Amino acid sequence: MRTTSRLTAAVLAAGAAVLSCAGPALADDTASPSPSPSGTAAAPTEAGTNFRTATAIQQGQAATATASTGDYLYWMVPAAAGQNVTVKATVTLPESSSRHGSATWRLDVYDGLRRRQACAAGHPSRTAAVEATTVELRCRLRTVRPWSEAWANDPLPGAYYVRLTVTDLPDQDLGLPASAEILATAADAGGSKAADGELAAPLTPVEQAGATLDPSTETTATPSASASEAPDSLAAPDGGWSPGWWSDRWIWTVAGGVLGALAGVAGYNFARPSRRRQQQA
Amino acid sequence: MIFRKRLAAGLCALSATLAAGLFPAAAIADETQAESPKVELVLDVSGSMRATDIDGQSRMSAAKQAFNEVLDAVPDDVRLGIRTLGANYPGKSKTEGCKDTEQLYPVGQLDRTEAKTAVATLSPTGWTPIGPALQAAGKDLAGGDATRRIVLITDGEDTCAPLDPCAVARELAASGTSLVIDTLGLASSDKMREQLTCIAEATGGTYTSVSHKDQLADRTKQLIDRAADAPAVTPTAVDGSASCSTAPLIGAGVYSDREKFAEHRWYRLNVADGQELRASVSVGADRAVNNDYGVLLRAVTGDRELVRGSDADSGRTDVISAGLRYGFAEQDDADTPASHIVCLEVSNSFSAPASVKTTPGLPVELTVGLVSAPDDASDVASFGLGRGWILLAVLTVTGLLAGLLWGWLSRIRVAVWRTN
Repeated sequence: MRTTSRLTAAVLAAGAAVLSCAGPALADDTASPSPSPSGTAAAPTEAGTNFRTATAIQQGQAATATASTGDYLYWMVPAAAGQNVTVKATVTLPESSSRHGSATWRLDVYDGLRRRQACAAGHPSRTAAVEATTVELRCRLRTVRPWSEAWANDPLPGAYYVRLTVTDLPDQDLGLPASAEILATAADAGGSKAADGELAAPLTPVEQAGATLDPSTETTATPSASASEAPDSLAAPDGGWSPGWWSDRWIWTVAGGVLGALAGVAGYNFARPSRRRQQQA
Repeated sequence: MIFRKRLAAGLCALSATLAAGLFPAAAIADETQAESPKVELVLDVSGSMRATDIDGQSRMSAAKQAFNEVLDAVPDDVRLGIRTLGANYPGKSKTEGCKDTEQLYPVGQLDRTEAKTAVATLSPTGWTPIGPALQAAGKDLAGGDATRRIVLITDGEDTCAPLDPCAVARELAASGTSLVIDTLGLASSDKMREQLTCIAEATGGTYTSVSHKDQLADRTKQLIDRAADAPAVTPTAVDGSASCSTAPLIGAGVYSDREKFAEHRWYRLNVADGQELRASVSVGADRAVNNDYGVLLRAVTGDRELVRGSDADSGRTDVISAGLRYGFAEQDDADTPASHIVCLEVSNSFSAPASVKTTPGLPVELTVGLVSAPDDASDVASFGLGRGWILLAVLTVTGLLAGLLWGWLSRIRVAVWRTN
């Protein structure tokens, strides 16, 4: 009896130690990757007009832009593995009196490789009636994975391009002044989406002019020439590009181990040779 | 143990990326002492600018006031010029009228007072030779690697057919490094809007319909600021070929090219073992195209397709893009990493009505990145950890069974010991 209780105590103590050590880590980590407060830098008031000039914004930062109806507006927002990113755009339409019909606005999201990303939820496209003053678009991406096979189109850590434009409108309404506000927020996807693996580098835009090489001299690739670092304008989200080592899978697995050990002790206790009978013998 | 190793590896990787992140930034800062951007404002001074429909003023006086405001706000690092069209020839001869474009203020360091005085002398006079004015503006901005921008302010369509200003704009954009033409329309005629949107579309610019003086000033300032904030990196022009064997050899970076409808263009690069190739391509729709279109980017080595990226869409758009990535695993036994020749094939499925010119081709922007160390995932779940009630049940039952088994084994042992 004494040995079993000592064993149980030891197992419990071990479990408690693991859990208590993990506890603070959990508290730390869940606090940081969630949407950061609208940052220290002032929110941008201009949008880019193509992929290369896309304005970099931070998560939780409400950027604005004034434009003409028909412009293609581009922003770029960083997203880390394990985040559910939602992009919300509010377009303030030109005065109704100057418009001639309904207009369809659309929000497109592309990853750092300019691959179109699906919206898992939200209304990325909406038609505004003539009398409407604003139109609100929303797109929630799939959970950003830390790694995927090269042939997959899964969302990966890195830059995400957001394109806002009008796709269908009466021709007379082109060029009328409109303004837009864009806000990208991220939520932690939780342990059920905690996956393994890591990219060599996040998918960030290449900011380097190309060079045509001489085939006669350049017979081999030079690994030192590899460069695809995140541009200065695009900082990693608060928690970094990868979610770190912590996930609630540690609690589940450790708890499973503790339960298994306890059950083992209980099973042994039930099936072991009875001491009383031993003593009687 | 494994976990500790992973953590250590993670820390190493972190410090490596930090170090790598710091150095290229410094290198880039040294390299790109970019030329200051050039902007030319092209102002219509044709007879129709006399019309008084902007805030109760004539279009001309509204434009002059807006120009005063704009000239005060031009950033110092922008080289600005002003060109007029239809400012001098009041007569009826079309040949003369269509030559009437003049550089009012040369592109260069701006002397605000001088420029303002020059603008103040203008009075609405002649024809609207937009095409010739754009051609001349293109020449004014020629030379150097600076980003170039033309802001065209007009109140009517071109009166100098058969020279199509839209075709002029497309040729200008195709002829050199990034040139963008933004257009501002001061009237609301359908023909003018069509022409101005076509010019803007052809160069990746914007069209704005102006109905207030403030709007004209604000928009012009915004466009000049955009030129000032242009990205430091300008794409390198490259000429893709029709087959892999003759394709130009390229490295990491941003490239620009032109591709006709349904044309295939090939580019070649060397990728070493332990490197990952990342490529993306954007094909611009710079003219009227049919409703449905697509783009396909393939990475091929020898006759084997490694990976492809594609996208298709329909409706109004500026570009359609696709991307791909492919890593070559590191070979442990090789002393020097082997190099692979990878060919990138870019094709598009744009089409256009018969009336649309097919040359020059559609603008293509190709970006290539090479990152070292291919990625790998040892397990789908984070660290191979489990999660969920079934896991708990399985572990508990396993523990229970193990305990029972151990108990029974000791019971048998005791029994055997007793009988002996």
